[in-house]
Amino acid sequence: METTALAEPGVQLSIWSLFMQAGWVVKLVMIGLLGASIWTWAIIIDKTISYQRMRSSLNRFEQVFWSGQSLEELYRTLADRTTSGMGAIFVAAMREWKKSFEKGAKSPLALQTRIDKAMDLALTREMERLEGRLGFLATVGSAGPFIGLFGTVIGIMTSFQAIAGSKSTSLAVVAPGIAEALLATAIGLLAAIPAVIAYNKLSSDAGKLGGRMEGFADEFSAILSRQIDEKVAQPQHRAAA
Amino acid sequence: MKAGLTTSVILHAAALAFGLVTLSAPEPLPPAPESLPVSIIPVEDIAQHDMGDEKASMKEKSAPKPTKRPDIVADAQKIGENTVDTDAPPTPDPKPRPVEEAAAPKPQPKPAEKPKDEDVPKPVEEPKPVPATEVAPVPKPKEEVKPDPVKEPEPKPEPVKQPEPKPEPQPKPEPVQKTASIEQPKPDAIAEAIKEQPKEDAVADTIKEQPQQEEKQVELPSAAPAPQSRPKPAEAQTAEAPDHKQADKPVKEASSKPKSDSESFNEDKITALLNKQKSSGGGAKRSTETAALGGKTKTGAKLTNSEMGALSDQLATCWSIPAGMESGSDLRVSVKFHVDSSGKLDGAPKIQSSSGNRPFDESAVRAVQKCDREGLVLPKGKEDIWSEVVVNFDPTEMGM
Repeated sequence: METTALAEPGVQLSIWSLFMQAGWVVKLVMIGLLGASIWTWAIIIDKTISYQRMRSSLNRFEQVFWSGQSLEELYRTLADRTTSGMGAIFVAAMREWKKSFEKGAKSPLALQTRIDKAMDLALTREMERLEGRLGFLATVGSAGPFIGLFGTVIGIMTSFQAIAGSKSTSLAVVAPGIAEALLATAIGLLAAIPAVIAYNKLSSDAGKLGGRMEGFADEFSAILSRQIDEKVAQPQHRAAA
Repeated sequence: MKAGLTTSVILHAAALAFGLVTLSAPEPLPPAPESLPVSIIPVEDIAQHDMGDEKASMKEKSAPKPTKRPDIVADAQKIGENTVDTDAPPTPDPKPRPVEEAAAPKPQPKPAEKPKDEDVPKPVEEPKPVPATEVAPVPKPKEEVKPDPVKEPEPKPEPVKQPEPKPEPQPKPEPVQKTASIEQPKPDAIAEAIKEQPKEDAVADTIKEQPQQEEKQVELPSAAPAPQSRPKPAEAQTAEAPDHKQADKPVKEASSKPKSDSESFNEDKITALLNKQKSSGGGAKRSTETAALGGKTKTGAKLTNSEMGALSDQLATCWSIPAGMESGSDLRVSVKFHVDSSGKLDGAPKIQSSSGNRPFDESAVRAVQKCDREGLVLPKGKEDIWSEVVVNFDPTEMGM
């Protein structure tokens, strides 16, 4: 808040001039909120795109998985690729399965728990990847208005100090300082509102995707458990054969 | 993440650019007319400006005692500004005297006359102004000069002789010159001046042409009656006064007398323009009207509503209403009591209009007495109004 700006009645009230007239604390708050807004939108765009990709990849994988293709073959094609989502879970489970069977696991129950753990781990990693950075949106959504309010309070405070110095109480003297102080709150809200909306949307999307992957993991675990039972029974058949 | 960040930055930049263009300064509101400060004044403050005399009879308009200027001298018969009542006219101010002194230098009238002579005998005159300058410093025998002009009118008939004495003026200046050159013995100069004067009377008069004499005639009458007083007619003064003033520089004057007339630094005109009224402060608390009934002060002679309210609030705290008579009953009593200037109750409170219920009336009287013991708070400056107060005791109005 510059006293010179206060003294002039015909102060420019465009947003840019309001910003330039503000004190350094208020400026800092505004710049920080602007940066937060930029980062928020970067996260929103990034997450929207990555969720879209994840969804389509899940669809594709499910299609492939349920196409009746041999699991061994699928594992062979996915193993040398970096996979995400269901693919990663599938690969983790198959790896554990292969390791155990190649060494000739004796206890099918232990194998089952190992595979489940491997899949849980893969699922948690995937979920972490999905939900990463959503916390920032939550922070901006809740703290943004407060940060803006802080800038406003500081701005109005200095504005009133300047008014007290100028010994004039006309609205023309008071108004510019308050307008520029309120700009900080406006920017805070501008950053916080999209952040809150996006956080709700993205976290629910992530929950849905996580649910789908969890479902797949359970289903695959059931399939593998059936397979283990079959494998345990098979040696007897083989032996019989 | 990079893609998201770049798109976000681009979007923000675009939004800010758009905002700077479209959300520029809003149209300023049309200037609102300035509000006038309004303060509410009770009508009593204006309507009851009734300062007057407390002992006078009542009139439509109240007024304090009229002012009288005391006589300087009791039973004075003559009109004037003296402190003594005398028959003689007031003595003039001493101021004109210095003017006379300035006029005194005797030789001056001569040069004045001589330049007039210039019109006729031009060659002879030139030396004369020079002596005049020298003579000027000798200003002593004033009185003698004055009589001269007075005498002059007598010889006026003589001017017929003018042609004969023409040569004479020449010798006269010579002695003047001598005196001027000698200068040292002042008495000599005076003596010579005295000698010259009579000569002048005879000679100068003769020298003067008739028209000039006429001018002198104009001067003389004015000079004779009131030589001392300043306000002579302008003509007379211009003839003499400039001479006095320029006594230091008489050479110029001799030739420039007419000029001095026109330039005329006229004291009288300036004094006439001066504001002689003395400055004065505000008037005393008096009027020119005859005294009429009124209060001591100019403030309203009635308790305002808020003052009445304050009083009844005070009394309400002191009032304990007999049981069963609080709000339901419409008992009402008005009590009249006197208060002295110190704010204490003066005499016992009287019941002006009774409620018809004796205990109730007495409770009101007790309330006044109790409040008096506790100390009534009175508005300052309204003691004369407070001296007699009538209060209505009403349980419903007094918040009981």
